[in-house]
Amino acid sequence: MSPWRLSLFAAAALSLAACGPKPIDPHRQIGANPYLPPIHQYLLPPMHVPKTEPWGSAVPTVAPGLQIKALATGLKNPRSLYVLPNGDVLVAETDGPKGPVNRPKEFVMNWIEQQAHSKTKAGNRILLIRDPGNGAPPQVSVFIDHLTSPFGMVLVGNDFYVADTDAVLRFPYQTGDTQIVAPPQKLTDLPGGPIDHHWTKSLTASPDGTKLYVGIGSNSNITENGIPAELGRAAIWEIDRTTGAHREFATGLRNPNGLQFEPQTHVLWAVVNERDELGPDLVPDYLTSVKDGAFYGWPYSYYGQHVDPRVKPQRPDLVARAIPPDYALSSHVAPLGLVFYSGSNLPAAYRSGAFVGEHGSWDRSPLNGYRVVYVPFANGRPTGMAQDVVTGFLGADGKARGRPVGLAVDAHGGLLIADDVGNTVWRVTAAGTQP
Amino acid sequence: MTDNPHSTARIAGHPLHPMFVPFPIVCFVLTLISDLAYWKTAAMQWANMSAWLLVVGLVMALLAVIAGLIDFLGERRIRALPAVYVHALGNTVALVLAIFNLLIHSRDAYTSVVPTGLVLSVLTVLILLVTGWLGGDMVYRHRVGVLPEDRP
Repeated sequence: MSPWRLSLFAAAALSLAACGPKPIDPHRQIGANPYLPPIHQYLLPPMHVPKTEPWGSAVPTVAPGLQIKALATGLKNPRSLYVLPNGDVLVAETDGPKGPVNRPKEFVMNWIEQQAHSKTKAGNRILLIRDPGNGAPPQVSVFIDHLTSPFGMVLVGNDFYVADTDAVLRFPYQTGDTQIVAPPQKLTDLPGGPIDHHWTKSLTASPDGTKLYVGIGSNSNITENGIPAELGRAAIWEIDRTTGAHREFATGLRNPNGLQFEPQTHVLWAVVNERDELGPDLVPDYLTSVKDGAFYGWPYSYYGQHVDPRVKPQRPDLVARAIPPDYALSSHVAPLGLVFYSGSNLPAAYRSGAFVGEHGSWDRSPLNGYRVVYVPFANGRPTGMAQDVVTGFLGADGKARGRPVGLAVDAHGGLLIADDVGNTVWRVTAAGTQP
Repeated sequence: MTDNPHSTARIAGHPLHPMFVPFPIVCFVLTLISDLAYWKTAAMQWANMSAWLLVVGLVMALLAVIAGLIDFLGERRIRALPAVYVHALGNTVALVLAIFNLLIHSRDAYTSVVPTGLVLSVLTVLILLVTGWLGGDMVYRHRVGVLPEDRP
């Protein structure tokens, strides 16, 4: 065989190996017992990056019985939302810190991430949106400026907490404030740079207000930055609100976000981004209640005790105590937002369950996620199939006009969605009500 | 006939091909060594080192291939050497293996090296032992690119 024919043959073999297994119907991986195919390690992982395009006059598609309208546009990377008791809406404009390039792959990955995200530089601040309620446009003010990749927000009494990527900060807040200029007090340091692979620190408070819970994502896909880089990560921390002392409440959660207490049962829930590069249908991302002291597998295993061969040294002792999560959302949907709906604006079909914001990823072809789904709950547990509620972020032309991230419910029961590619906050309400 | 087979790709009489060739050879040998170190320690710095070495080795190999092809096409007496075909074919195989190896090394953590990456690194070095030897043969025995003695 001539060198040319040999290289042609090699190229053909390469492209065959790069294709990998045929993707399955994602619905088989939604619910309590997802189908888990065998592991497929790629020669060339999928890098399916949708081109982005402005919304223009278009809006996302909503399920029947709902309507959608932009609450605020022209933002700079809005990623998370919080609604204050007086109805003011807070929006964190944020982006991750720039990590080091430790190997050639990271050059390629950084370039891909740039293509998939908004070109707008994040504000690294929190904005306050106040709806005057008389039909006039909402007023936007800078609530807190000069933050470091802020994400989680929670108010307990007059203490307003922000989870920057490297610390939980406390600010004084009085009802009606539209701006906080007082310097923050640092409550607790969090694992941050220099790598800071998963940088979004989700934050919530216990129903009695004594504890804070912070979601701390792993520092890698699957320990490729070394196991010492994972110290304190892939975990949910419980922080004592008075002393700032912390303990690991639950571990083995690769990238936990959307921390929320279920309103009926007062149990902590989170959405978790699982590992990549094991095939188009591994590993399903999930929604789960978070049990005190539980280990959910990462990095050593997934969905209970399915061992990941990429981790060295392996830890059979930890795998033995890994528990499976409650509810799979299907693979590579990248859930980053979670909110339990206890309002009364939306139709009855959406009350008492949870909305999940699926940011979407480029690790699967065809793409998955890029939508907001509703997971019905009964007696504090998920029941039945997740339903698409807001779609159309990914157009029929394959271009992404938006990507949903953080969710919140506003004072009138509208569902708010932060869209960090469309640079918009969307508001979903029941059709026929005041939009 | 006193004239030696001449090199076409050269600067001031110095053939380029032998200047580029040491880079891929050294890089791919060091890739094997750092792969072995990773296999024994599971310390990610060695796997990262291997990935960089593969990239540098492949870029420089591309330059060596271009210079080598120009020499091959530019001199009938080089094309008449049987060793040149084994040399070119072997190096093509080694390069294809190194490209596969870079893809394997772009996986995350342990399986970026063990076992497939390590095996490809061993095969690449074994092939280079033969093709490098033949390359040396062409210069030191057949005097490819060597200036004739009667020239200043």
